Amino acid sequence: MTTVSAPTMTRRQMLKRVGAVTAGVTVVAAAPMAARAAKQEVRYAMVIDTRRCSGCQACSIACKAEFEVPLGAVRSWVEHIEVGTYPNVERRMLPRLCNQCSEPPCVDVCPTEPKKATYKREEDGIVVVDDGLCIGCAKCLEACPYDARFMNPFKGDPVKTKGNGVADKCDFCLHRISQGVQPSCVNTCQGKARIFGDLNDPTSAVAKLVDEYDTTVLMREKKTKPSVFYIDADYIEAKKDPKADQYFRLDTHRNERSSKRWA
Amino acid sequence: MEHHLMWNWPMIVYLFLAGLGAGALAVSGIVVLWDPAGEFRHRAALVARLGAFIGPLPVIIGTILLIYELGRPFRALNLFTSNFWFMFFNPSPMNWGSWFILFFCVFATVYALTFLPWKALLRGERGERLEARAERMRSPMAVICVPLAIAMAIYTAILLAAIPARPLWHTPVLWLLFTVSAISTGLSAIILVQRFMFRKPGAVRGAIRREDPAFRVSEYYLVSMKVLLIIAELVVIGLFIMFAHMTINSANFAVQVLLPGGELATTFWLGVILVGLLMPAFIEGFYLLRTAVLGHEFEWPYVINVSAPIAILFGGLMLRYVIVVGGQITGPIGI
Repeated sequence: MTTVSAPTMTRRQMLKRVGAVTAGVTVVAAAPMAARAAKQEVRYAMVIDTRRCSGCQACSIACKAEFEVPLGAVRSWVEHIEVGTYPNVERRMLPRLCNQCSEPPCVDVCPTEPKKATYKREEDGIVVVDDGLCIGCAKCLEACPYDARFMNPFKGDPVKTKGNGVADKCDFCLHRISQGVQPSCVNTCQGKARIFGDLNDPTSAVAKLVDEYDTTVLMREKKTKPSVFYIDADYIEAKKDPKADQYFRLDTHRNERSSKRWA
Repeated sequence: MEHHLMWNWPMIVYLFLAGLGAGALAVSGIVVLWDPAGEFRHRAALVARLGAFIGPLPVIIGTILLIYELGRPFRALNLFTSNFWFMFFNPSPMNWGSWFILFFCVFATVYALTFLPWKALLRGERGERLEARAERMRSPMAVICVPLAIAMAIYTAILLAAIPARPLWHTPVLWLLFTVSAISTGLSAIILVQRFMFRKPGAVRGAIRREDPAFRVSEYYLVSMKVLLIIAELVVIGLFIMFAHMTINSANFAVQVLLPGGELATTFWLGVILVGLLMPAFIEGFYLLRTAVLGHEFEWPYVINVSAPIAILFGGLMLRYVIVVGGQITGPIGI
């Protein structure tokens, strides 16, 4: 009897041990995923009510002044768009900034390790660039479908560096919002077209607006899940329908960037 | 129309040189491993040697170009600040590529050292010992170098193809195009150097001589391999354009830059297709067929002999130029 039970016991022990190891491995493997999937407390977002935008570019100026953005580059800008079919044409304004994507393609391609030079902040979902880590390879500029990034040759060093410098982009005015102040573009907006707040707080203005309106995000098909929502900008989606043969002319109003030219 | 390019000529030249070095090393390694004891390897010994010497140089030059482009060279060390295994958790192909470059440079250099004529360099017993050791190490190093070289060639394309925001790059055909082009340019570089060296009969001591019929046979095999590669590259370019053209969305828009009427159409059709592929294919194909069909000696005028590989190298550079620039000027800017 003992000769039979002894191997049974060992098998049970072994099974137990295997089970424990499997569970442990699963927990270890799943831990980062769980951390990522855990609901982040704050998700900063911006709602842009294009009906209220007059295209005055005050936000572009405020942003440039706030960050001393070098000539030929912008963090935030306003596009003027002519859209429609004659005689029903109209001129629309589309304020732009970094979309602070929930799944940012720029972060995926960043090559530095173990810490990425550009990363999404766990606590509030803002995508930022670490000047000290960025090697200036410009890969994130190519990866961003919104063209929201640029190379800032003045950043990181007090004097102009010889090469590309480091990647730079809108960070929702992190230094302001950490002090409880609105971002500079929101603060300066004459028509109150830009509304900023925490999307996870149901009492905030942005959460209410996103609830109330059918908002549009830019390039939904890229599946980046942006945190910038547009009200009354459905024509952007409509223009992608090949059957809708509508006139569309875009004037980006971005300065012609003159640092490097080719072709 | 003026465009703002973030990835400029250092990037273009780097992609070309990395492909060339990887291709030359892959050809050399494959020749060494093909037939370890047989006649083929003896006949192609010069090809293996030249490929091994050409291999690491362009990659090292290209890497220096890349680091120069960053502006702050020491920032590049941020790519290596953690341990090697961490690379499998970083999806960035550039990070993988930086490790590939590192290992490629190290192993390709060691592999090239095994081809040095140690006996002639160091007289005496020491030279003979080193020569014997180099002979022993050659095949194991080739086993490491061939996969590394192919990984390098593919990585230069994946670097671009992993970017969804640039539809011209974001195709599953690009790696094939760059790999075929890499091997074709690598082989052309080998043939070019070989032809410069054999300008005068018997210029290379110890290797097979120009008068040796084996040399003609080896030339014949090399050139026919190259023509096959050119045909393969034409097919892959056709696939590349067809794939993009058949896609409804942005890839179709992007490929218009290469098609007639596009901004880069002249560079593409003249530089890549005509000069880089069709011209050498016709010239070399003519002499090949003359030998294969009519039974003539495989011999041709020296100018044509040298210009065909140069044209292929030029075509490879133009291909990188067209793809890198074309991808950037057709990226989705705006909404």
